[in-house]
Amino acid sequence: MDRETLQAAVCQLDSSIRPLEENADRAAVVVEAAALPAILRRLRDEPEFSFAQLLDHVAVDWIDRGQFELVYHLYSFKHKHFLFVSVFVPREDPRVPTVCRLYPVAEWQEREVYDLFGVLYEDHPDLRRLFLEDDWIGFPLRKDYQDDFMLDRPR
Amino acid sequence: MTVEVSSLKELVEQASGTSGSPDTQEYFVNMGPQHPSTHGVLRLVLKLDGERVLRCIPVLGYIHRSIEKISEHMNYMNCVHLTDRMDYLSSIMNNWAVAKAVEEAAGIEVNDRIRYIRTIFAELERIQSHQLWWGVLGMDLGAFTPFLYGIRDREVLNDVMEETIGARLTMNYVLPGGLMADIHPNFVNRVKEFIKYFRPKLDEYDDLLTNNVIIQERLRNVGVLSAQTAVQYGATGPVLRGSGVAFDLRKDHPYGVYDQVDFEVPVGTVGDSWDRYWVRVEEMRQSLRIVEQLLDNIPPGDFLVKKLNSKIKLPEGRYYSQLETARGILGVFITSDKKDEPYRLHYRSPNFNNLWCLEPMIKGDYIASLIGAMSSLDLVIPDIDR
Amino acid sequence: MGIVTDKLPGALEKVPGGNVLVTRFDEIINWARANSLWPLTFGTSCCAIEMLMATGGPRHDMARFGAEVARPSPRQADLLILAGTIVKRMAPRLRTLYEQMAEPRYVIATGACTISGGPFIYHSYTTVRGADEIIPVDVYVPGCPPRPEQLFHGLLTLQKMIKEGETIREPGVRRKPVISALPEGVTMEDIQGEMKELLVKENVVDVHQAVDKLKWPSGTNDGS
Repeated sequence: MDRETLQAAVCQLDSSIRPLEENADRAAVVVEAAALPAILRRLRDEPEFSFAQLLDHVAVDWIDRGQFELVYHLYSFKHKHFLFVSVFVPREDPRVPTVCRLYPVAEWQEREVYDLFGVLYEDHPDLRRLFLEDDWIGFPLRKDYQDDFMLDRPR
Repeated sequence: MTVEVSSLKELVEQASGTSGSPDTQEYFVNMGPQHPSTHGVLRLVLKLDGERVLRCIPVLGYIHRSIEKISEHMNYMNCVHLTDRMDYLSSIMNNWAVAKAVEEAAGIEVNDRIRYIRTIFAELERIQSHQLWWGVLGMDLGAFTPFLYGIRDREVLNDVMEETIGARLTMNYVLPGGLMADIHPNFVNRVKEFIKYFRPKLDEYDDLLTNNVIIQERLRNVGVLSAQTAVQYGATGPVLRGSGVAFDLRKDHPYGVYDQVDFEVPVGTVGDSWDRYWVRVEEMRQSLRIVEQLLDNIPPGDFLVKKLNSKIKLPEGRYYSQLETARGILGVFITSDKKDEPYRLHYRSPNFNNLWCLEPMIKGDYIASLIGAMSSLDLVIPDIDR
Repeated sequence: MGIVTDKLPGALEKVPGGNVLVTRFDEIINWARANSLWPLTFGTSCCAIEMLMATGGPRHDMARFGAEVARPSPRQADLLILAGTIVKRMAPRLRTLYEQMAEPRYVIATGACTISGGPFIYHSYTTVRGADEIIPVDVYVPGCPPRPEQLFHGLLTLQKMIKEGETIREPGVRRKPVISALPEGVTMEDIQGEMKELLVKENVVDVHQAVDKLKWPSGTNDGS
């Protein structure tokens, strides 16, 4: 399946799925936070898609829009196709249901995003800091993060 | 729905306590961050019952250098330099991943010469990385001689690459738009010499370790990872192939000139440490085969198709490029907002995802098996922490 | 006797039945210390491959300098070769390791990261800018990563420092830290001073002289 067909086929799954408006070099869709686990389960289990592996989970801080974008990179060994699934959550109260029951590796990928962005994963079995100390204040990869330690590059 | 955020202290307090059996007590042991067999600064919190590992909790962050944050304040040409320091044993492949992402986004088509040279160097570095891994695996299992053998041959290959690149470890050779320099006039001949030298040495490796009964006993049926678990836990590279999944980006989504060469992807059957060992040793042979096929056919051309300066801007959007390093899939996710610096640059590092296979592999096994299993994962800690 | 009498300052006296070497006790101790350094295997990142693995290998062979007995335990080591970036989370552990090492202990900081933070100095929220913020450093070896030969130069520099350094009367007195790649007799202060001088020389303008030299183009300024 090529990129456009795949994107259209995924959008057919549910009325809440829509294609990503911004430019992306792979098939990319946007889903609602609440519907995420159900949709990922269908994408994983339905033979037409069979996205067996969650390659990566990335967060992007869109500070101007007041949103975090959470991108799930899915890969299918069977069909050799690739999909971005994006979820937009508000910056003030970033919450999203965990998908680590579906993809066990998500447990640590979500912990990384929690550590660096402060996104809270509902029903996560072990939500802890991953790279930083447990008593670290703030979430350093947010665009507005500041502390006394960081140095700016002299221009 | 409530979300609970815990800490390592709470986790250990919850999990400790006496077990049902009256004569043994479960206890926690810290392995690392300064431990010779964790290959750097990985810290494992082990829950033990006697010598048996009940839980194995990796604690990261002892070399978290915030590369992703630094990259947001750098132009694309500078971002390449930091990737050398992530997985330093496959630095050329790391450079290539970023270069590939930038080239695809900016619409730069590189010529055949560049693709040939990149492929040759990537394979040479794969051999180099596996040589080091082979020596260190021997050392982890208590044999010092393999380390000397591995380093000896690594230095020979290092000389060949150094002649062209000028660096020994952080190569920084592949740039977006081409290469840092053209290959040295002696390069082709010296690589041929190296292949002639290294082929018999691989048989020597087999005599020393592969056919060694002690090594086989230490690795066979230790750290068994089923194909299903490997896929679920996000493993890639030799770890996934050792579990019997024939997935290699070089075959399935060819980049460079991998579609023009003939090579096999070694695949394990059981998924134990032995299979992962065997897959890597076999990969060295296949890499030699790939290099041999390409060496005589390097086409003429420029080594830099487009000189990019530091002000290069990518069009708005999300770009993802991935390639197969010596340890698995390295993915580069670039989010651009039309500036000369990436809005967000994320690395999907192979080691980060491979690490989590350790607990399902080793649960219920002895602590001595943990060392062999961890060594067969071939972890590079700065790549996990970034 | 060769090696002992050649290397040690002292007087060799012939007595019936053999020779007697007369020297200072400090010399003997420092000579022994300098030539039997036991390094701690402390590698955090890239430099570890070059500093600990390549130097331990057969090509470069650290054993030539009497420093090949790498120990994983700090209690058995007296030389700390810092190889790789130190981050905030590692800093207390590094301090603990240093304090557990046997006295007298020496530290070689290798690579840009342990000297200053290297490529991770700006915009990093974790990288410590130089290991000398945490523990005292005796010799700096620059490079990213340094070649094994550079480490050997650093090691020889340290050996020289040890031989000329501590005495029993004044234990713990050390010489100033040195950068091993600098030529003999040149210190960091010299370089900084020279750079400052150069900057001043290039950027100071004698205004009067400059005005005198300036020639106005004819016909633009006169008579108006």
